[in-house]
Amino acid sequence: MSSRVCRTCGGSDIDVDQARGSAVCTSCGSVLEDNIIVSEVQFVEGSGGVSSAVGQFVSADGPVKAPLLGSGFHTSVGKESRAQTLQGGKRQIQQLGSQLQLNQHCLDTAFNFFKMVVSKHLTRGRKTEHVIAACLYLVCRTEGTPHMLLDLSDLLQVNVYILGKTFLLLARELCINAPAIDPCLYIPRFAHMLEFGVKTHEVSMTALRLVQRMKRDWMHTGRRPSGLCGAALLVAARMHKFRRTVKDVISVVKVCQTTLRKRLTEFEDTPTSQLTIDEFMKVDLEQECDPPSFIAAQHKAKMQQLEQELARKLDDVEGEISCYKDEIETELEKSRPKLRGIYAAYAKEIDPEEAEVLSSTSDPEEQEVEDDELQAATQHLTQDFLCQVIQEEEGRGKKTDDNEVEAGPDMEGAGSQRQAAPLAAILGKLPSAASLGLQQTLDESETGEKPDDEQSEGGELDLDGIDDQEIDKYILNEKEVQVKTELWMKQNADYLKEQKEKEERIKKEKEQGTYKEKPKKSKKKKEQIQASTAGEAIERMLEKKKISSKINYDVLRDLNRGGTGSGGGSSPSRASSDPPNTNTTARKRLNRRRRKKANDTNRDLAANASIMGKRVRLLISSTSKRKKTAVQAENSVAIVTDTSTEAAAEVTPDPEPVPSSTPTAPSTVLEEEEDEEEEVEEECVSALQLVGDYGCEEEEVF
Amino acid sequence: MDSSNDEALDIIITNVVATFRTRCHLNLRTIALEGTNVIYKPEVGKVLMKLRKPKITASIWSSGKIICTGATSEDDAKLGARRLARVLQKLGFKVRFSAFKVVNVLAVCSMPFAIHLIDFTKNNRPIASYEPELHPAATYRIKHLKATIQVFSTGSITVTGPNVQNVATAVEQVYPLLFEVQKPLKKKEKS
Repeated sequence: MSSRVCRTCGGSDIDVDQARGSAVCTSCGSVLEDNIIVSEVQFVEGSGGVSSAVGQFVSADGPVKAPLLGSGFHTSVGKESRAQTLQGGKRQIQQLGSQLQLNQHCLDTAFNFFKMVVSKHLTRGRKTEHVIAACLYLVCRTEGTPHMLLDLSDLLQVNVYILGKTFLLLARELCINAPAIDPCLYIPRFAHMLEFGVKTHEVSMTALRLVQRMKRDWMHTGRRPSGLCGAALLVAARMHKFRRTVKDVISVVKVCQTTLRKRLTEFEDTPTSQLTIDEFMKVDLEQECDPPSFIAAQHKAKMQQLEQELARKLDDVEGEISCYKDEIETELEKSRPKLRGIYAAYAKEIDPEEAEVLSSTSDPEEQEVEDDELQAATQHLTQDFLCQVIQEEEGRGKKTDDNEVEAGPDMEGAGSQRQAAPLAAILGKLPSAASLGLQQTLDESETGEKPDDEQSEGGELDLDGIDDQEIDKYILNEKEVQVKTELWMKQNADYLKEQKEKEERIKKEKEQGTYKEKPKKSKKKKEQIQASTAGEAIERMLEKKKISSKINYDVLRDLNRGGTGSGGGSSPSRASSDPPNTNTTARKRLNRRRRKKANDTNRDLAANASIMGKRVRLLISSTSKRKKTAVQAENSVAIVTDTSTEAAAEVTPDPEPVPSSTPTAPSTVLEEEEDEEEEVEEECVSALQLVGDYGCEEEEVF
Repeated sequence: MDSSNDEALDIIITNVVATFRTRCHLNLRTIALEGTNVIYKPEVGKVLMKLRKPKITASIWSSGKIICTGATSEDDAKLGARRLARVLQKLGFKVRFSAFKVVNVLAVCSMPFAIHLIDFTKNNRPIASYEPELHPAATYRIKHLKATIQVFSTGSITVTGPNVQNVATAVEQVYPLLFEVQKPLKKKEKS
């Protein structure tokens, strides 16, 4: 009790009486406190002489207001959404964490992360599972536990990259810097899983040394730590005379054989691999290696250099040949028969177009341009490489004339040369317009270039630099179009059929005024069950699909058969009573169903509820059948499951309406069966009820 | 550490992605049947047309929106886009070339040294992230440039950004950081 100062007299001598619960100042006698609150536990005697403590449990992170429900009755009713989210999250964390064998401290930390995440609204649009896994992995990383993201993804059966994405995002948003993974962390865990018995510790130490050596040899940057561990463990095991095959190791470490082999090869390349076992344990080489990928890249660079040199040598040789080749080509062109196909248009229009465009260019230029055109054409027919080289030659030669901007030993050389003149306008605007002076003479010959900006704003297509004859290449002529059309039609026959059917269906439904826009979902096509009797159909369907685990299918099957014999007397009465009830409801649901199924072309398998509903449904089938005839275009219009909610009637009405219209019965039965599954899902509750009902019904009847 | 590159780092632009609109509805079937080098994907609802001259692949939607990928420079992309529009024009559609925009540029650059990724990530904590379990490269995002740089341990980096200028700036920005954490080649001292 803190001694306070009296308010009236200022005296500090205060007497506190616990029994009366009052604090009195002894000097002036004024009462400072009445009914002092004590923090003691009280006990109450309950029924049967049991004494229990008075009080309620209040959770630390629960709602602020005290739970009104007494005696520890925890429900989610009455709690706000945030509390519910946190509670659910906590539960999931506990579950997942216990599977990973994380201690309570880690789980608490994970829950704190989760709270932070929720408060930052980062759970929106993400599965709680993923978020929880990311929080747990965050904890693992910060604590340094040997858990991999792969483990988490194994438990959740989620792609590891998805989890990784969520994890990275959370780490960034929460500004948590997870330290980098050290492969050494995983060694003890994997060693334990590989079952080395007594020597596990020794093998682990050897493997650790190996991993450290690998790190210094730059084998570990950019690689999965588990791969390195696998390689190290394999070598360590062999060093200690354990026979662990590659397969054993990869099953534990979760990398593939190729990766492991690769790591081993890389390690082989390092000088450390040359040491004996004893030497390795004692000595640590000072020298460090380059990372293996770096070495590979250097190797590649060398190869490229060699290739370039070769190419240059070829150039020199080709230079001579190309001159002869040009002359031969020109001669051939004059005597060559007309080019066919796309090149026809191409060859024809060369002269008039070029003449227009290059009005100011000299003749030799034109000739060279033509040559160029041909060169490009032959490029398609002859080897690319040679022609490129030839182009380069041409390019170099042309530079003096045209001042090619983009000419040069690059891929563009070939194309841009051909377009030298038409491109001039565009090229003229390029920053690298060192040759702008010469170009401008060509520019003036052009049809007056408009600045691109204006054109793009106006939306007009700037035709400068677009060679029409080249564009025409991209368009097939009529004959080719026909051929292609045929081919395409044949190829996509299925798709086109589908489309037609869909259109027809939509049209029909529109006529009937039942067309409803549905968001397009991809639906699986289900095959129809071909059966001659109802019983057979049920059996087939049961074989194919078990829809609910809460239904006793055997009972259902028996019902179908058993019901035919017994309860014949009661059924007619029920039959009479039921139709009036079910008819109205049936009609209502019929309409509802009809609208729902409006766009369903596929005949889906009947739900299991159809079995239950069959008895009662076939009762209704007489009425619905009439409806069906009216609504022939519709598919399964049957009232499936709504009837299942009705008290189960026997199957006796089954054979009655069935023989009445036997030819139509199977088809209608099938139709009724071929209802959407969705209905079953919706009414699975009713199915449950039905089972419950059945219990009672059966007892009543039998 | 000098940030100005004496040995002129080659930034090679490998891909330029651009979009534009034709402001008119396009009949994909016509394009598919009458064009060479086209792939029609009715399930997705687009046509892929490949041009040879600037090597470009264009995705054409019936709404008139077109995405061009595969160009090696911004001007190339524009040229290819205009060529494409011309082809469509010739096929009979009233195309207008509007709203041309380069959306993404991908460039590759190679440093003459190897890079120690873990140190690099440690130095640039929130901006850089490295998850060896997921991807072998460290990712460095420059927010104000809207550029992303992926750094590999071999020293090569890939840069993506909204235009070529940003990409060049990004490389210049990141160069000194990489220089600090370079791996010496077969030398005893570590950086």
